[in-house]
Amino acid sequence: MGGYLGTLVTSMLEDEPWVGALAGIDADPPRHRLKRTTFHRIRPGEHDRAVETIVDFDPHIVVYMGVWEPDARAAPSAAAALTDEASTTVLGAAAECSSLESIIIRSGIEVYGRAKRSPTRPSESSRRRPTSDWGRSVENIERTALTVGERVGVTIGTLRLAPVLGRHVPSPLGRFLRQPVVPFSALADPPFAVIEDRDAARAFVAAARQRLAEPLNVVAPGAITVRQAAHRGHRLTLPLLGPEWLIARPASYLLGAPIPDHVHELLHRGRLADGSRIESVLGLAPESSTTDVIDSLYSWPSVIHRPAQRQVA
Amino acid sequence: MAALGNVIDFPARQLAGVGSAASDALSGAAADAAAAAGAVVRSVRFDDAGEVDDWGRDPALVSTVIALSQLRWDIATGGFDALPKRSGALVVTNARRFALAPIYTAFALTTALDRPVRFVGRPDDAPVGPFLRRIGGLLDRPDELEAALRGGDIVVIGAAPHTRPRGVGVVDHALVGAAVAANVGVYPAATTSSPFARHARIEIGRRIPASKTRRGPLAELELADRLRDQIHRLLDEMGDIPTGTPLDWLPFSGLGRH
Repeated sequence: MGGYLGTLVTSMLEDEPWVGALAGIDADPPRHRLKRTTFHRIRPGEHDRAVETIVDFDPHIVVYMGVWEPDARAAPSAAAALTDEASTTVLGAAAECSSLESIIIRSGIEVYGRAKRSPTRPSESSRRRPTSDWGRSVENIERTALTVGERVGVTIGTLRLAPVLGRHVPSPLGRFLRQPVVPFSALADPPFAVIEDRDAARAFVAAARQRLAEPLNVVAPGAITVRQAAHRGHRLTLPLLGPEWLIARPASYLLGAPIPDHVHELLHRGRLADGSRIESVLGLAPESSTTDVIDSLYSWPSVIHRPAQRQVA
Repeated sequence: MAALGNVIDFPARQLAGVGSAASDALSGAAADAAAAAGAVVRSVRFDDAGEVDDWGRDPALVSTVIALSQLRWDIATGGFDALPKRSGALVVTNARRFALAPIYTAFALTTALDRPVRFVGRPDDAPVGPFLRRIGGLLDRPDELEAALRGGDIVVIGAAPHTRPRGVGVVDHALVGAAVAANVGVYPAATTSSPFARHARIEIGRRIPASKTRRGPLAELELADRLRDQIHRLLDEMGDIPTGTPLDWLPFSGLGRH
């Protein structure tokens, strides 16, 4: 819950009347001030402390969001290791809690993969065939959670999020699109969909409230291509045919917007998913469409200057 | 003399008239094409809506491609009133190799119904696949078709290509099964076009209900067979099919032009 999305979900859960005690674990402190949540700063490797904390709290519902997207907050190898370690620790500890009824986990639509002739808009029933490191990471989390659910008899709700963009959410896709010059695949320029952080957080809260027990895609309506997105943000677009990506990727890395393999896949094969079931299952619909989120992406300031509340010098 | 000339058609003037009539007849096709080209130029839009729909279809690009396609096809569409106004439907057409029947049928229905109509059969390789996706193409996967139909789209699929103009190939029962699973109407459509002329014709038949007695995949197989028969019947009702060649001038052909 230390990440921005985790903190947002926690602050929304604090306002829910059905929520009793709240406790959160993360390696980083929460990004917002929380009113009634007990926060435990535990690194992913500290298995014993995590198990002890979770078992002592004995939750009814675990909302698990401990995923590190490659090149968002950590390099791809570190992100994969942290994600794997955290999921094993927290979900393993949750399995020891006698009162546990439901686990809600964060996954991504990258879990469907974008292999040749894979569905253009996979639904929840589509086969999981991840074709990127990030997709394989979230698939591992889903598999671990399902195993835990079967062994201890609790329901598992999986929210497969489209790429999350938000004012403060670290996202390799967001950084890539905000560059002054945006390269795109001239031969493909495929469409993709995203989800705004607030809509994603609302989905987690609704899933916890309803004890979601199935996978669900969380995708903003509509889609956009990279060229269209860059035009909306008044960025220069640079059409690339193929081999130039060997130069574009390191150049983008040097400019502060690394392109991990799942974003590279998105740029060449697109990333859509069928998010039509969320309304019937959770009773909510994303408030922002994909184009709204992209427009917001370009209007969010890079640095927000806040004057000090109290001058001390 | 000038007044007399107004009363009597001198041979020279008549000859000139004959000459101009002949040149009019000869240039008729060219003038027709020029008029179509002018209409296309007027209707082509180069504005970019800046977004695509949930399946990656670009409405601005589609309207441009439809306008350009009028240079190739002059389509007469009939029977489209039978199609639903809002809900999903599957339209199955006959197809000939390289005739692009599902594509021009989707374009014609888009124009006639003023709502997005997709077609099945795009490849998944760049650059053709992404381009066809932008103009409404779907992969020929039953799950993809079912999702589009459930979403309330009208989707056109083609039967297997056939070499004879009046021939109808096998209808993929797996794709028809997607419509049965999505619980939407299935409509046959007969299409004729010529590789040498612009005239094309599409006739949509009445909805064919799925069998209520079958509970298993036999329902789809039987529905696919009935679709094939119905498309045959529609083609027969359309009369002779123009080829766009001098063969149409022969007495046993060329009577079915719209």
